[in-house]
Amino acid sequence: MKRTPCSLAALGQVNALGKTNAEIAPRLFAGDTSGLVLRDDLVPGRSLLFGAVRDPLPEIPARLARFACRNNRLALAALEQIGAEVDAALSRFGRARIGIVVGTSTSGVGDAEEAIAVRERTGALAREFDYAQLEFGGLAGFLAEATGARGPAYTLSTACSSGARALASARSLVALGYCDAVISGAADSLCGLTANGFASLGALSERVTNPCSRNRDGLTLGEGAALFLVTSDPGGVQLLGVGESSEAHHISAPDPEGNGAEAAMRGALTDAGLSPGDIAYLNLHGTGTPQNDPMECAAVARVFGTGLPCSSTKALIGHALGAAGALEAAFCWLALAGRSRGELPLPPHVFDGERDPALAPIRLTIKGETARVGAHPRVMTNSFGFGGNNCTLVLGTDGDA
Amino acid sequence: MKVSLTRWAAWAPGIDTPDAWRAWAHSPVTLAKEGVPEAKFLPAMLRRRCTPLTRTMLAAAYACVDADELPRLRTVFASRHGSINESIGLLEAVVRREKLSPATFSHTVHNAQAGLFSIAAGNRAASSSLAAQEDTWACAWLEALTFLEREPSAPVLVVIGDVPLAETFAALVDEPAVPYAFACRLASAGGAAGIELTLAEADAPLPRPPWPHALEFLRWWLSDEPALVQGSRATRYEFRRT
Repeated sequence: MKRTPCSLAALGQVNALGKTNAEIAPRLFAGDTSGLVLRDDLVPGRSLLFGAVRDPLPEIPARLARFACRNNRLALAALEQIGAEVDAALSRFGRARIGIVVGTSTSGVGDAEEAIAVRERTGALAREFDYAQLEFGGLAGFLAEATGARGPAYTLSTACSSGARALASARSLVALGYCDAVISGAADSLCGLTANGFASLGALSERVTNPCSRNRDGLTLGEGAALFLVTSDPGGVQLLGVGESSEAHHISAPDPEGNGAEAAMRGALTDAGLSPGDIAYLNLHGTGTPQNDPMECAAVARVFGTGLPCSSTKALIGHALGAAGALEAAFCWLALAGRSRGELPLPPHVFDGERDPALAPIRLTIKGETARVGAHPRVMTNSFGFGGNNCTLVLGTDGDA
Repeated sequence: MKVSLTRWAAWAPGIDTPDAWRAWAHSPVTLAKEGVPEAKFLPAMLRRRCTPLTRTMLAAAYACVDADELPRLRTVFASRHGSINESIGLLEAVVRREKLSPATFSHTVHNAQAGLFSIAAGNRAASSSLAAQEDTWACAWLEALTFLEREPSAPVLVVIGDVPLAETFAALVDEPAVPYAFACRLASAGGAAGIELTLAEADAPLPRPPWPHALEFLRWWLSDEPALVQGSRATRYEFRRT
């Protein structure tokens, strides 16, 4: 069965590398880690690196004040970049035909912390706090109100695979005919809850995250948002395949064999009708935790062997949790969009260079590396979430660049 | 896409058998505000770690399908509030600059119920977890349709549930606050009779039932009414027997 095309027709994003595609792309391909900042305000007694967005964020319009939280401001920063394309879709298809499917793991929980801090002092929640900031569905509700889209609007929250899953569902809603276009992606924001939660699990690195290194000691948290306009138009960058699996293993640790990761990658290849040799680059989940990297490298080696160029971009923007899948799809989009004379620029794998010899020896990209590609370059991105939720995406172009 | 609803189960305090739900659907009354299922089907160690919401949703899931399907079906878990009650304690600890419990933190992800179901049932199939404010039920249905779009031949287990919000946030939410869960098994109907969901733009929010939307759907499914229309905001979701 021939799939309906799934165009990732427009992309807006914000993360520690910058606030536009034009700003982010050169820093991504240069492996720039200068976006990470030391903060001592998130985890008591510890000064840690975070991929914090330092650019000023747009204000939530007064009419939508009930949605005014940092998470929605990050989403708005991404949305504003695709405002022209969203407006064009609204006129072309009508507002009832535009849906919203987005991912988050935090929603506005950082703002709920402030509201509860006020409650501790005064006995009442902060007056400006509204439950719509905290509830997971609030992100989709906000984007529906902000754009005027009147199709279905929902938020997926499967921890670190949320952003990837959102794109998978957006593609299906268009294919089913429920929507002509979907605004889809994810937003996640740094907050005390996730920082201290991961600290309590011993999962935060003392330095910059160091994926695939023998010295790796955990993840660096980040934040950001990426939103795509998904349509059934042909051409441009397309979402070609989706692979999904559950781990049935442990609530906060992956199956050490990487069987769930392998199933997700193989499922995405099958869905896209591709063979492992068709993939030019893989963006790893690559969190730099002791548990993730061995299982992921082993799974990648079983599917692809050890020749496929791979990298983790977590050292550049941190692990943006619920937004990671969408942001890493955005990085794949930038690589595909950056193709020039048959060469695909590849995000470098940034770490201390001391490979853990215990890991399967997959090929890690270096700075300045490009991949020689044909008319139909295809790339893949992995997202593996807490609770054992895995989602792998394949993106590609129709060869018109 | 037309789907057939082949199995269902629901749980609310005191109403936990198909016959009890049929009686309720025939003459529905408002539901009790407190109660948690025993969930004896869970191994004791796992059961101890389950929050009230997890027990409630898993009780409906396990009652809905046969044991041989529990490890195989793809799943959609939906909850408006999810684990927010457990998050409140963590938020208070953050504000007081106290250490968080790693176990509690792990169980506050929105997909905790899906993850624990996957572990308990040994289910490695695709799974999604969602929330959509007051339209969570209709969007859970849509999300199940996206699974059927990707793989029409394999049915999907949909599980929705909530428990009342703790006092910290309860006053901020104007929706029936009762513990409940509803699960159903959806398959592509092909040419057979089934349920079709259509969407349209709404002029105004529709009147809300005095119980959760998913249970209003169950009431409708057990009635002979041809259609059910729901929608809290700008979108009307119409379920229709075909």
